Amino acid sequence: MSILQSFKNLVRSRSIHVAYVDVGSCNGCDIEVLACLAPRYDIEQYGIYVHNNPREADILLVIGAYTPGWEDKLQGLWEKIPDPKVAIAIGNCPISGCVFNRPHSYVNPPVSKHIPIAAQVPGCPPRPTEILQAVLSLAPEVFKDYERRKK
Amino acid sequence: MFGSIVSYIREFARREWIHKFLFAKTAPLTTPVYSRGFPELTGKTCTHALFCMMACPAPGAIEVIHLDDGGWEPRIHTGHCIRCGLCVEACPNGVLYSGRILESMFYDNTMLSFSFRIDVDTNRCMGCGNCAVACPVNKTIDAQMSHGGRASTDELLLKVSEGKCVVLHPEKCTGCKTCEQQCPNEAIRVARLLEAVHAPEEEL
Ligand code: SF4
Ligand code: SF4
Ligand code: SF4
Ligand code: SF4
Repeated sequence: MSILQSFKNLVRSRSIHVAYVDVGSCNGCDIEVLACLAPRYDIEQYGIYVHNNPREADILLVIGAYTPGWEDKLQGLWEKIPDPKVAIAIGNCPISGCVFNRPHSYVNPPVSKHIPIAAQVPGCPPRPTEILQAVLSLAPEVFKDYERRKK
Repeated sequence: MFGSIVSYIREFARREWIHKFLFAKTAPLTTPVYSRGFPELTGKTCTHALFCMMACPAPGAIEVIHLDDGGWEPRIHTGHCIRCGLCVEACPNGVLYSGRILESMFYDNTMLSFSFRIDVDTNRCMGCGNCAVACPVNKTIDAQMSHGGRASTDELLLKVSEGKCVVLHPEKCTGCKTCEQQCPNEAIRVARLLEAVHAPEEEL
């Protein structure tokens, strides 16, 4: 059991599947997430794969200040992700609404009101290194001994 | 042909190749020194000029708080701050730093300068004097000023004269907009002008 579990832990730590969703951003943070895929930062060398399919994702990166169009969609998307799962708020937008959070604007931050957020990466936009570090530091905590904790 | 297969396998069986395949290859991720991070305190004394808060474009990003010992100190709120560095440049006392902003300001001889323009719409002003009484600069000049805003000294920033508000010394204004908030008729308006200027040599 414990050998199997530690083997699972090892394999999972090198195989993290990520989906990202933009709930109304300026695209600045999307571009920084994209930069993580490029050779300079090369997110795949750490075993992090971006599929953008919630059905096979472990980590959801939430970007943007939550516009009204997402009221009925983000919750459903979160429920589609199989356990174990976490969501990370990328940028100021999902944390505070950033520069869009002004009187009479339609955005409805923080995103943690709508789905559980495990970590926040502040910045407008955050640097790719900060995004990478957040994913890398969170992943082992979430997936380690998942079966044993579930019981 | 057989030789090429063997050389192929030997190539992939090298220890170095396996190591590179299995372990991360790019240099460790570090933040470069020129990168503008969240502003931090240099340790110089904050004089509560509030230029940082006036320059800041992000809602709720910076607050100047009153310390227990009577001093002031700016606090940056991550999650709100967009790391634009305008507060660092706007501060006249160099209280904040971020990346190389202070150094490049020094080498380029530039600074951000604030000026304030006070406009009184005489058609709307009814001479109540709320603005002159509320103005904190007036309070330091003439603490005895009665309600109504009438005063004998001309050293004041604002005063009411002949039933209208007159601006005597606009250069003393600190841009706090207290007068604007106290005016019942929206007659007085304060515009904050932020300009990037080349600093005169002697100021550096
Ligand atoms: S945090 Fe800044 S860069 Fe990111 S989506 Fe919001 S406004 Fe754009
Ligand atoms: S860096 Fe920019 S956003 Fe952040 S506190 Fe300073 S002025 Fe505001
Ligand atoms: S904005 Fe200027 S004139 Fe108005 S209350 Fe403040 S210091 Fe006085
Ligand atoms: S500007 Fe406004 S507050 Fe000042 S005297 Fe006129 S009406 Fe009163």
